[in-house]
Amino acid sequence: MKKRRCKLLSIILLLLVLLSGCWDQKQVDKRAYVYAVGMDMADEENKFNITYLIVNPEYGSQVSSNTNESPQELITFETNDLMTSKNIANVVIAKEITYDLLRVVIVSEKLAKDKRFIRWMYDATKDREIRRDSYFIVTKENVSTFLKVNKPKLETRLDQYFELILKRGIDNGMIPDMDLHRFFNITEADADLALGIYGTTQGNNEDTGKVEDQLLAGELKIKGETNATQFLGSALFKEGQMIGKLNAEETRITILLNDTLEMSDVLTTYPDPFDKDFRIAARLIKKQKNKVNMKIKNGSGEINVTIPLIIEILSDHSMVNYGRNAEKRKELKKKIEDNLSAKINDFVKKTQEEYKGEPFGWSLLSRRHFKTLSEYEKFDWMKTYPTMKVNVKVDVRFGEFGKQGEVPNLKRVRD
Amino acid sequence: MLKNLVSFISDKFKIKNDYPEQLSTDDIKLKEQNIDTSLKKNIETFERIYFIPDNTDVKIRHLFIPGINKKAAIIYISSIMDTKIIEETVIRPLQNNQHTTIEITNIISAESVSTAEKIKDALKEINKGSCALFIDGEDQVYLIGAANFQGRSIEKPENEVSLLGPKEAFNEKAMTNISLIRKKIKNENLIIEATTISKRSKDELYIVYVKDLVNEELLKNIKDRLNTIDMDIIQNLSILEQIIEERPKSIFPTILNTERPDRAAYFLEDGFIVLIMENSPSALILPATFWSFFHSADDRYQRFLYANFTRVIRGSALFITIFISAIYVSVTNYHAEMVPSDLLLAISATREKVPFPTFIEVLMMESAFELIREAGLRVPNPIGPTIGIVGALILGQAAVQANIVSPIVVIVVALSGLSSFAIGDISMNFAIRIIRFGMIIAGGVLGIYGMAAIFTIGLFYVVSIKSFGVPYLAPMTPKYISSNDTIFRKLTKNERFRPGYLKPKDVTKKAGDS
Repeated sequence: MKKRRCKLLSIILLLLVLLSGCWDQKQVDKRAYVYAVGMDMADEENKFNITYLIVNPEYGSQVSSNTNESPQELITFETNDLMTSKNIANVVIAKEITYDLLRVVIVSEKLAKDKRFIRWMYDATKDREIRRDSYFIVTKENVSTFLKVNKPKLETRLDQYFELILKRGIDNGMIPDMDLHRFFNITEADADLALGIYGTTQGNNEDTGKVEDQLLAGELKIKGETNATQFLGSALFKEGQMIGKLNAEETRITILLNDTLEMSDVLTTYPDPFDKDFRIAARLIKKQKNKVNMKIKNGSGEINVTIPLIIEILSDHSMVNYGRNAEKRKELKKKIEDNLSAKINDFVKKTQEEYKGEPFGWSLLSRRHFKTLSEYEKFDWMKTYPTMKVNVKVDVRFGEFGKQGEVPNLKRVRD
Repeated sequence: MLKNLVSFISDKFKIKNDYPEQLSTDDIKLKEQNIDTSLKKNIETFERIYFIPDNTDVKIRHLFIPGINKKAAIIYISSIMDTKIIEETVIRPLQNNQHTTIEITNIISAESVSTAEKIKDALKEINKGSCALFIDGEDQVYLIGAANFQGRSIEKPENEVSLLGPKEAFNEKAMTNISLIRKKIKNENLIIEATTISKRSKDELYIVYVKDLVNEELLKNIKDRLNTIDMDIIQNLSILEQIIEERPKSIFPTILNTERPDRAAYFLEDGFIVLIMENSPSALILPATFWSFFHSADDRYQRFLYANFTRVIRGSALFITIFISAIYVSVTNYHAEMVPSDLLLAISATREKVPFPTFIEVLMMESAFELIREAGLRVPNPIGPTIGIVGALILGQAAVQANIVSPIVVIVVALSGLSSFAIGDISMNFAIRIIRFGMIIAGGVLGIYGMAAIFTIGLFYVVSIKSFGVPYLAPMTPKYISSNDTIFRKLTKNERFRPGYLKPKDVTKKAGDS
């Protein structure tokens, strides 16, 4: 009797597992992997154009290297939301559309500036498959054209290209490390400004006469045969709506001031204090966190920030020989500190006056100065920030002066 | 009509008895009798029992002993004894005897002589290779031990290969095996107890233990278990193992079978009990924990760092064997988002032209691997290499080229197969391989969730197993005083305790401390 019951129970358990399991089983090779989703303005009201970049796994793989298939498929159509579009795409795409591999969400500038943008953007939080760590990119032109023109020369597939170029750009500090999660996070906190990676394929052929730091994507003149796409600078979002663009220098300042953003391999130039014809090349290293001092007093406040920086001087065109000359080093240090703090303070002022908000993550640091949440909410960081007194100081320490510290005495060489 | 049919069928199925059953009560009665004083009658009895002269290797030789002027006869089985000894120590001294009042035992110069009064007892000794000497007019028989069973000599271990350790292995002679252990433990406390465990073939079992270490209750428990055995024949230890283990249907082995005397000696010194039997090229060590199956002999002999490195490799191999195929199945079916994009695309690309679902594909290849393994084991030596080539080539490359399986599956299955060999113990190896299939099914049905569930249930089970009262995962869980030789081992000089879960009489290993 006991044995029979045991058998019956095990059969029931087995059936339970067999009948209930497998329901979301999906074979890897029966799916179409969307690597990038693009969102554009549509002609019709309350709809948007969606662009799918579907990568072809077979392209470039060893097994089927003799395939003639193209590396990717690109389709654009009008949709109501991010979910139903998966079904609509199957009109032309043979396999089931999946966002499992989605790493890049691209929005055109025009749509990003639209008031309805945030409503559509929040679809990304609804779908189970969309990863929150997907890169968030804003393009100058329509995304459909951006993806069509984007033809990397050396990377076999677009997914490799995106992965690599965005990683490099973030390391260099040319673009901010922004993903969907951070975008939603900042938007929901409603105190800071969010950033997006800025990119374009539309080159600007006229010479802007700016130093490379002050450029935006599309403004850098590059000759030769290469991909037309450029990622440089960032798009600024306030309350889920794009309000401006930051060039490379402003992006780097933002990253310097915001301790939640990171850059690791930053090379830049400063005007040479000893010979104004030249600029000195320097590597910026930030090892410690900023010292942020806040004083919140009834309705307004004061923020004092010190940025600890280690700077390695990599070029010495004026042949000053910094490694051997303590006086000159001191002077250089002061000049760089002044130069940097002036630039940063200017930018901070610009955020206060022009954007009326800051992308530096300071609202998070301010919370500890309030006793209760309602007190903080009443303070309304976004509204109060423009009236605050902000003072940023840079504290420079020199690292090495290139692999060889010394430069020869020019007079003696030319003699 | 129907009746006819029924009777026809029952006629057809009636068992025809060509060989009518015979009772052996007469024989049994005969064997119960005492030895008779008449030599002639005794010889007749033994001729009848041994079926002489049909039984070719049982020999009877008639003698005349001068001096005491008596007729005598010896009976022996020539194939299992050393006839030279008999000739030199029995036949020649008897025939050359000139003393008139000497006792028989003093004439015979053999090393062991005993007497028996019952036919039954004499038969038992003759069957074991003794020579029986009957003297006319005496109602007892002299039994001279000269057994010499044929067998192989000591050879290298084949299953438990060690790089640095001793290269001797047990062979089929129990006395050799005991000698090999005694060689390692030269101590008067090493006890070799013999008991007979089967009713008909009278198989002898030697219980080996160190008296001043072993826990008496554990020993009693094992002896009790051995005493309850009710079997006609137990040919060797592998069969005995299946009879005395606690859970014969369990997937995990609970008795360690080793062919290395050094390992047996090591366990004896820790307070374990070793069983040795004639005809078994191995020894049983009990109780056994999971760790004793996981460890190998070389772990002891290699230096601390190297041994632990090997343990890490073996541990990861264990998990690779169990999980890798299952992870592949569940990731490709349920959790595609878990994989790095490049890898996912690579997997997807290789699967594009494969007709079967991953689950079937993996099961197919795993079974094929098991097939090669089993066939390779049974195949006669000269054909061996062919099987290897056919298996590797056909099932690997050709299957991929024919788009039957994807190359990644070949890698996964090869990896899991290769890793399974890292677990040296044959029983544990089987357990792991079977678990692997369970995992693949769980992964195919419910993904990683299913695997986690099965693994958890498995853990519950492993923790619940006991081997002769010792928890299977001791001393890791539950915790006991011990040298903590589990996943890693300590420095040899820091191994200060015997395993506490055995409750040995002396738990510290160092003479100075006790």
